[in-house]
Amino acid sequence: MKKFIALVLLAAFPASLFGGEVITVKGSDTMVILAQRWAEQYMKKNPNVTIQVTGGGSGTGISALINGTTDICDASRPMKPAEKQKLKQRFSTLGVEVKVAKDGVALYVHESNPVKELTLRQVKDIYTGRITNWKEVGGKDARIILYSRENNSGTYVYFKDVVLETEDYAPSCQNMPGTAAVVNAVAKDPNGIGYGGAAYGKGIRDMMIKADDGSPAFLPTAETVGNGSYPITRFLYMYLKSRPAGEIKNFIDWVLSDEGQEVVTKVGYFKVR
Amino acid sequence: MRIRSSFILFLLLSGAAAAQEEAVDSISVSPSVKEEVEQLKMHNESVNEILLEMKSYIDLSRKLKFSGYMQTQFQATNGTGNGAYPIGGFSGGAFPANVGSRFQVRRGRLKVQYENDITFSQYVLQVDVTQNGLGIKDAYINLKDPWTRDWNLRMGVFDRPFGFEVAYSSNMRETPERSRLAQTLFPGERELGAMIEFQPEFEPWSNYNLKLGLFNGVLPNGNENDSRKDLIGRAGVIVPFEEANAAVDGGVSFYYGSVRNTSKFLSTMNGSRFTVDSALTNNGRSSPRQYVGADLQIIYDIPDIGGISLRGEYITGRQPGTAAANTFYNPSAAGTPLYERRFSGYYVSLLQNIGTRHQLLVRYDVLDPNTDVEGSGIGAAGSATTVGDIAYATIGLGYLFHLDENVKFTLYHEMPVNETVNASAAGALAPYTADVKDDVFTFRIQYRFPY
Repeated sequence: MKKFIALVLLAAFPASLFGGEVITVKGSDTMVILAQRWAEQYMKKNPNVTIQVTGGGSGTGISALINGTTDICDASRPMKPAEKQKLKQRFSTLGVEVKVAKDGVALYVHESNPVKELTLRQVKDIYTGRITNWKEVGGKDARIILYSRENNSGTYVYFKDVVLETEDYAPSCQNMPGTAAVVNAVAKDPNGIGYGGAAYGKGIRDMMIKADDGSPAFLPTAETVGNGSYPITRFLYMYLKSRPAGEIKNFIDWVLSDEGQEVVTKVGYFKVR
Repeated sequence: MRIRSSFILFLLLSGAAAAQEEAVDSISVSPSVKEEVEQLKMHNESVNEILLEMKSYIDLSRKLKFSGYMQTQFQATNGTGNGAYPIGGFSGGAFPANVGSRFQVRRGRLKVQYENDITFSQYVLQVDVTQNGLGIKDAYINLKDPWTRDWNLRMGVFDRPFGFEVAYSSNMRETPERSRLAQTLFPGERELGAMIEFQPEFEPWSNYNLKLGLFNGVLPNGNENDSRKDLIGRAGVIVPFEEANAAVDGGVSFYYGSVRNTSKFLSTMNGSRFTVDSALTNNGRSSPRQYVGADLQIIYDIPDIGGISLRGEYITGRQPGTAAANTFYNPSAAGTPLYERRFSGYYVSLLQNIGTRHQLLVRYDVLDPNTDVEGSGIGAAGSATTVGDIAYATIGLGYLFHLDENVKFTLYHEMPVNETVNASAAGALAPYTADVKDDVFTFRIQYRFPY
């Protein structure tokens, strides 16, 4: 009984009464490095605050937000109507969406791959299984090996909605647990192609992407993502269950400040303001 | 030689099979090294086979999901518990005579779900295990249209698509039980049938949804006994006010069905009295079961406190029941006289979140099972009215504490107030000449996984 009372008391009173504030951040693997950098810098400036960052994917983060086990959810895609509905049922709120960065979804290929650019249509046809050989897009005669993310990934959902135009991924697609795993797989596979956040594009080559046959091709750079000329550009989000208050509000305000947005650039993403 | 072997091993581990072969061919190596390389290649292949096998299990585990929840509770009533009148019939089942408190496993659910993530087809089976045994709750197949994914066909046993509360999951619901209204009209919530659902994910239509289904109209696990089907539908809309962090959701529903009289006795209201028709032709005749309803949920996020929600639902219509109750008339039971009544009912609930773990709740729930007769007319000489005609208004007060993502505690006290019947009423009606003592207090622990 004493244990129970102690648990209730611990839950009822905020941790700040007993020590420093703890903010939990969970979600997008695409954003995990960015979130860690934000947390490190913010904690340096505010030693009384502890920010705990974990990944797991946007879907996992949104689930954690719905079940109340995280204060902030990082997501590389917008919340779905069904997820908003669950949040509404549990907390009687709509949730608060904060756009914190911009990202270009890069198409990764092996450094030896001779294909330099693809149209959005070709990318769609490759990932839906209509194009299966690199020679069909100007490369060597070799089967295209597809690497994707798992379906709890916001990048997976975004790519499916925007690039595949809601069509299904080809069954031969190999689903990897994180963007780093996609990059590793493509780095070792001369016939591989993968996708993920531009910030991860180290050790492999980014493909230039054209909106259509008549458009110029762009690499995902600060300029092309910032001005929207790179065709696969998206926002990165933080979600909260309610309007932020206290230390959480301070943290969000700092993330959106010049200093917080500098971190975005350093990690390889693009400022929202 | 060691350097050369290490170089070869490095190439092997790099995973570039083609590159490895070229490298081995281009370097002059001894037969023992070649043999070693061959062995490593075989080992590599066997590891790959193991990984592929493991991947198939991982893929299966992603598609096959288990979830469940258990609700254990202690309940106490202020009633005498001597069996003169039922207590707790709408609070998890009537207390037995001479019982004023009890422990229960109210719900013990286990759900198995398999989803094909390419076609989004779904298999769902949910069972309920309590102290009363094992029962099937859900058993259905979902098929999404392969083109837009906005249309869904569901067939099997599942919640009837009427209103808000019927489909609101028991593990999410804040009150221990649904309203008296929902329990009377939709006992068990589920039915055997097929339903088309339109739930678009694209804007702006994602705020609209439509459900329309045909059902046997018997009970969740009952076999059909006639060729008539019941048609049930709901059209819903969500209106978000994101700037204000508020939203209004609502819907209108209908139920158009009937049940077959299994006796020759048909009682209908004539003024405030029942008239009994005992023509033989009544046996097998259908009586209408028709409802219309509207539901509304309003939410608003109060800064620094938490979200508040106001929910309400109103239903009116015609219900075929029995003498003793206006609940479902079971056409599977032979020789049961049928009573036709017009009814109306509603509930309003107010839920306040405090932070992420605490919730306060108040609910007011009204059901008038027979709108043609007032309290003083019930039990009046010659009226043939029964306890099934008594109206109730119930006030419920609750507090919920979410310990973590799995555990929820509920404290809930409900105070039903019955319509007082004619002072001359006798028999089963006699206790209802005043408000009977039938408050029920519930302390519930819920554990669910995954959240």
